[in-house]
Amino acid sequence: MSRKDDLKILIITTMISSYPGANTVGQARLQYSPGTFIVRVPDPVMFPEEFYLDSFAKGIDGIIIMSSGSDCPYEGAYPRLSKRVGRVYARMKELGIDTSRLKLTTICTVCKAAFLKEIRDMQQNILKAKAA
Amino acid sequence: MTEASPTSAPVPSGDPIRVGVYVCHCGGNISDIIDTKAVAAELAAHPNVAVSNDYMFMCSDPGQALIIDDIKANHINRVVVAACSPTLHELTFRKALQRAGLNPYLFEHVNIREQASWVHKGDHEGATRKAVRLVAAGVEKVVRQDELFPIKVGVEPHVVVVGGGVAGMSAAAALAGRGLGVTLVEKASALGGRVADLDRVYPTEESGADLVQNLTRQVQCHPKVAVRLGSEVVGLDGHVGKFTVTVRATAAAAQDPDHVVRAGAVVIATGFDHYRPAQGEHGFGQSPAVVTLPDFQSALRQCPASQSGLAYQGKPVRSIAFIHCVGSRQIDGVHPPQPDGKVNDYCSRTCCAATLHTIRQVQARFPDVNVYDLHKDIRTYGRGHEAIYEEASRAGALFLRFPDEEPPTFAASKDAKCAGVVTTRDILTWGEELEIPVDLVVLATGMVPRDIASLIDLRKLPVGTDRFLQEVHPKLRPVEMGVAGILLAGACQGPMDINEACTAAQTAAVKAAILLANPTIELDPFVAVVDPQRCDGCEKCLAECEYKGALTMADAVEAGATVRRAVVNPAMCVGCGACAAVCPPRAINVAGWTLDQFDAMVDAIVAEDVGALAHTECRPSARHIEFAMAGGGN
Repeated sequence: MSRKDDLKILIITTMISSYPGANTVGQARLQYSPGTFIVRVPDPVMFPEEFYLDSFAKGIDGIIIMSSGSDCPYEGAYPRLSKRVGRVYARMKELGIDTSRLKLTTICTVCKAAFLKEIRDMQQNILKAKAA
Repeated sequence: MTEASPTSAPVPSGDPIRVGVYVCHCGGNISDIIDTKAVAAELAAHPNVAVSNDYMFMCSDPGQALIIDDIKANHINRVVVAACSPTLHELTFRKALQRAGLNPYLFEHVNIREQASWVHKGDHEGATRKAVRLVAAGVEKVVRQDELFPIKVGVEPHVVVVGGGVAGMSAAAALAGRGLGVTLVEKASALGGRVADLDRVYPTEESGADLVQNLTRQVQCHPKVAVRLGSEVVGLDGHVGKFTVTVRATAAAAQDPDHVVRAGAVVIATGFDHYRPAQGEHGFGQSPAVVTLPDFQSALRQCPASQSGLAYQGKPVRSIAFIHCVGSRQIDGVHPPQPDGKVNDYCSRTCCAATLHTIRQVQARFPDVNVYDLHKDIRTYGRGHEAIYEEASRAGALFLRFPDEEPPTFAASKDAKCAGVVTTRDILTWGEELEIPVDLVVLATGMVPRDIASLIDLRKLPVGTDRFLQEVHPKLRPVEMGVAGILLAGACQGPMDINEACTAAQTAAVKAAILLANPTIELDPFVAVVDPQRCDGCEKCLAECEYKGALTMADAVEAGATVRRAVVNPAMCVGCGACAAVCPPRAINVAGWTLDQFDAMVDAIVAEDVGALAHTECRPSARHIEFAMAGGGN
């Protein structure tokens, strides 16, 4: 039986928005599970579909893409990312991977509550899927 | 000139990769939760790690000296520091590497404070385990890191300011005052924009015309400023430091040549438009007694001081209803959508104070007029602006608050006693429905983005969901756009008052002046790079790139045959990485953020044993960044 702290959740953050948001959570000393690994990127649009599928295959339990959403400073990047994640979902279904293990969301520099909620939701989804 | 210039001696080709790992205690901020000694000890087992230490304060001089000494004495050629957020000290440690003669980009900063020790206080073991994985991921990233060099771009000490309103003129005057040449391009035949139409501005009570006149004098008399009235920008090529801006006179004959300006930066100050209510919105367009606030202000200005009673279009006005939030804070499903299918859900910010200021003018000049103020909320957010709300209330204005989803309606009256009746539900009197006979309804219309689609298209400028131009970040980079060297000033970015617009303009001017202060600009090297050995010329990356001129295809000769290869213009690439995602052979990547690096980081995160991670062999001494621009290359 898995515990939430045993899970490995990859959190992809943007340098301009959600990475500073994760820092804000820390500065507020809000607590969450240590099974969370934050990587910062200029923009998650750079990842091909295989990156997500390979990460699951390697042992990552869940991936949260914390994008800058419609505030993304890169022209056209968010719509591209959104479509790509849609294609990843389709491939996850084909491969029998529970789609709740991947979440595309938007987190800003001060979205503390939303940041924590996304982690909680992802942990619950994974544990539910593992229990099923 | 665009080039990458070495800032330090290259790592000798063929040298084995030797990583130095330094785990910071942060005076207990980290080490009270994370066992920093254990982290350093585990990382020492990594096959590429030559030195692994922990220390009280890595950012201190002795802490930095540890790194410098190891680079010099122990031949460390990659560095990982696990400490606070990189936003605080990444630059500190890069500079330490540089002082030791190592390329400053052969460094990885791992955040184990804000994103580990501070957020896992109750789980020391879990936090330590996480720190080990994060630092191992940092090592895996840095062993795949190539030397990078800042991109040097020559600059034109000149700025084009688009828009000659108060923001544009403020920016132009500030830029010229810092010794930069300025071309101020204004579409209209005179400078001043919307402020020129204002009789009095709140809270200084200066006349809009005087404000404009002062600024106009400053820019027109300055020898560094060239004003081009009746003109618009029709071309915007080049990149930060060296833009080529094509200006065309709007009334030019076909044979008139375009005016070409070379500029290091561009400031956009194109302002806003007033919202035009839809036909029938609160009775607008159906009754001459329903007018917009700008129209009413204009009529008030033209009303002679000697006039004893208020009249509008020849008809006496004994009672007025002002309705707030017309065209702003709209709700999907309640308000009709705009032409693009969206509602204006943003607050226009300035209309509450503008409405109350107008009410005060009416009260002062025509005390017998009954004033009704119908609002969702009163948002007089500016310093001291709340005073005008109180003044209007004390002078007899009646404030009624309508529900968000139930805006007031207007029906023309059949009798001659009044022009019509405004019906509203008032939350302040427990939802009572009121019918107010009025002679005039003034709609406090908000700001909407000006139609500058042709300018936006020239460089695919980012536009927000509210259709205003979008900055990189509202707090961290509030006047910069995603396209380097293009800055924002004033209400083209979103609703703001004169004060805020001029402050934004001054900020943009300072930002441009910093950019252009030296003969060359050093840009971050985190842009797309092409490995010509891997590129097969499939052109998939081209379709993904939104930035004109950033990515092109060029012919190259390989083994006697002509082949097509992708080529990046580093000064025009923004480094988003959209191209990298679609390149099957991974020939194109963002320098410093390659997909191989991220794959290796994931491997480290899932690995149970740091010592079991594979040893990475030496890498080429320098990245071959392909610059196609004249004079470029390294």
